[in-house]
Amino acid sequence: MQFGRGPATVFGFIAESQATLPRRRGWAYFARGYASSTTPVSRRVFLLSEFLWRSCQGRFVQHRSINAMRRARVFGVAVLLLSAWPLRAQSLTPAPPPAMREVVDEFGRTVRVPELPMRIVSLAPSLTETLYALGVQDRLVGDTDFCDYPPDAQKKTKVGGAINPNLEEIAALHPDLVLATKEINRPDTVRALDNLGIPVYGTDAHTRTVDDILSTTQKLADLLGVPEAGKSLTAELHARLTALHSKLEALPPSRVLFIVWTHPLISVGKNTFIADALRKADAASVVDATQDWPQMNLEEVVRLQPDYLVFAASHAESASRDFESLASLPSWQLLDAVRNRRFAVISDAVNRPAPRIVSAIEDLARQLHPAAFQDSPAPEKPATPAPLPSNPLPAAPAHMTLNTQPTMVEFACAR
Amino acid sequence: MRPLTLTRLLLRCGVLALILFAVVVVAMKLGAVQVSLYGLGKDLISVLLHRTSALSSDYGMIVLGIRLPRILLAIFVGASLSVAGVSFQALLRNPLADPYVLGVSSGAALGAIVALIVEGHLNLSPEMAGLITPVGAFLGAAVTIAAVYILGRRDGQIDSTTLLLGGIITASFLSAVIMFLMTTLSGNDLRGSAFWFMGDLSTPQPRSLLYFLAFGFIIAAGAIYTTASDLNLLLAGEKEAMHLGVDVPRVRIVVYIAASILTGLAVSVSGTIGYVGLLVPHVMRLIFGSDHRMLIPASALGGAIALVIADTLARTVTSPTDLPVGAMTALAGAPLFIYLLRRRIA
Repeated sequence: MQFGRGPATVFGFIAESQATLPRRRGWAYFARGYASSTTPVSRRVFLLSEFLWRSCQGRFVQHRSINAMRRARVFGVAVLLLSAWPLRAQSLTPAPPPAMREVVDEFGRTVRVPELPMRIVSLAPSLTETLYALGVQDRLVGDTDFCDYPPDAQKKTKVGGAINPNLEEIAALHPDLVLATKEINRPDTVRALDNLGIPVYGTDAHTRTVDDILSTTQKLADLLGVPEAGKSLTAELHARLTALHSKLEALPPSRVLFIVWTHPLISVGKNTFIADALRKADAASVVDATQDWPQMNLEEVVRLQPDYLVFAASHAESASRDFESLASLPSWQLLDAVRNRRFAVISDAVNRPAPRIVSAIEDLARQLHPAAFQDSPAPEKPATPAPLPSNPLPAAPAHMTLNTQPTMVEFACAR
Repeated sequence: MRPLTLTRLLLRCGVLALILFAVVVVAMKLGAVQVSLYGLGKDLISVLLHRTSALSSDYGMIVLGIRLPRILLAIFVGASLSVAGVSFQALLRNPLADPYVLGVSSGAALGAIVALIVEGHLNLSPEMAGLITPVGAFLGAAVTIAAVYILGRRDGQIDSTTLLLGGIITASFLSAVIMFLMTTLSGNDLRGSAFWFMGDLSTPQPRSLLYFLAFGFIIAAGAIYTTASDLNLLLAGEKEAMHLGVDVPRVRIVVYIAASILTGLAVSVSGTIGYVGLLVPHVMRLIFGSDHRMLIPASALGGAIALVIADTLARTVTSPTDLPVGAMTALAGAPLFIYLLRRRIA
């Protein structure tokens, strides 16, 4: 039984006994009532010092001799002094500042970047691809976990995901330029890098069409000091698009449903560059939404009756599996395209605002309008995409890349 | 049980503070980038000597520029959530109460999302843009606190049951509004919101904000601590406490407002980090007993320790990719809690 000051148990909870209950209890009561009740302060100080002294003797200092203590003290001071030694040497040799210039990026921010950036970190798969296409891959020192194309990009130092890159890892790479996109990177990341004094160049603030992608590519080429490579690359891509346009001009556009995700059914809005890429392949998306990633109602899709379903995947097999699982559902049987097994699979390059999107456009055009490509070998079955036509990249066919199916959030964003 | 004396209180808090210090040192060493203890000590000494120019560039920037602010943020958020958890558990006399039970997190989330949407349409300087999300979240939290307070009143006083029900209803209503906004709005505005819902300490906050948060924490936690012994009596029952001389309505208002402000501050900078505010108070209660004069400071320190550990794990387990810290708190916290609970029963 507990008497006097101190808590007593009431129904499993601790409450004070009534003997210690003045009306208000603040710090003054606390100090008066408890601290000075039994033991005077002088005794407390003595006990504390005794305790500290004994614990020091017992645990930390083996020899009681004063000499040992003195040696330890001298050693400690020496360690402190020695540890400060290299600091001074380092501070006396500042690195020469590199030549800088001011540019306005696509976010509208004014950024001071080096004249010729030599250590670049890319925070988006599309930017990594663009750097490879421009032939400056040697200056790329780090990229994200999702940068899987070309395969060589997987060997670069990874700085984490695109949405949540690891700031420490970026800083440790000592980049003189970090490339970010509005589409998949967070403004917080850009702000944090700004605070660390690392220049960040933002792209894709208003990428709505394929032409926007090409102009961004040219701007990046100018930024990185390789304007000629950018000019020849964009000129070649423009030429390929023009050639495609002249082939498909006479044909009526096929109405397609571009499927980003199946459960729930997510497609692309009309203002996205993916919708524009579909238009370039003479296909019109049946979705007329202003949102970028609208979640579609199946009733609406059945009413619209698209001619083709278009899947974008890194593996043709996984897209086929997706289609089979959809086709087995009774409600999807209402779609003519499912009943007649009309679907096209293109590489996931179409999801990324990078130069490779032109190859995906050509691929899609071949699958939707085989008649226009009679002179070139057309694919037998739509489920197996044709080998990609030669392009300036050291290209491996997209379906041979080694990544796994991304998760939903990253799939919608990993472009 | 031995009576609580000031010596014992300070001793226990001192031990917890030492553990916190050790955890912080380890957290500063661990991370995606390897830092030697020697380099760490060297940098810290040179900072203490005000020779920041002499920092070894790498370690200095990474440890002091990235890691330390994040650890400080974790300390603050963990302490705030735990103190708020203790307070709500005592106020509502409900062991399941946590800082988010009264809808503060949902209100803050809605505020943050509205701020994210507005930010895209305003042309703000970078400093302002960094502040707008926390400010929006805190405004959302404050509006929710006021609304739940009005809902929770009965006969001019806060009633625990009405408050709890009003808070839960408000939380579910606000969650529905958030879901509506997230499905109807364009995705680009809401890039960071998914991280926000999982709890995220990786976003560096401006230093002024950290000072402000520390100030708010001291005020609010101090206000709660002045009612610590009243909370002890409140646990015996509201009528009993009133008979024993506790001004119950006043205690309720002070604790409700202060704990909600703590939650709002924490949520506005870190998103909703779960379990810390629920588990840490219970763990501390199992270790130190349920005297609030001990429990509140112990929870503050324990919450800070727990969140720093969880954040360090989140940073290092799948390095260089960060895990959401909210997942880590539950992963690491739940087994520890079950262990303590079983040991107590056995």
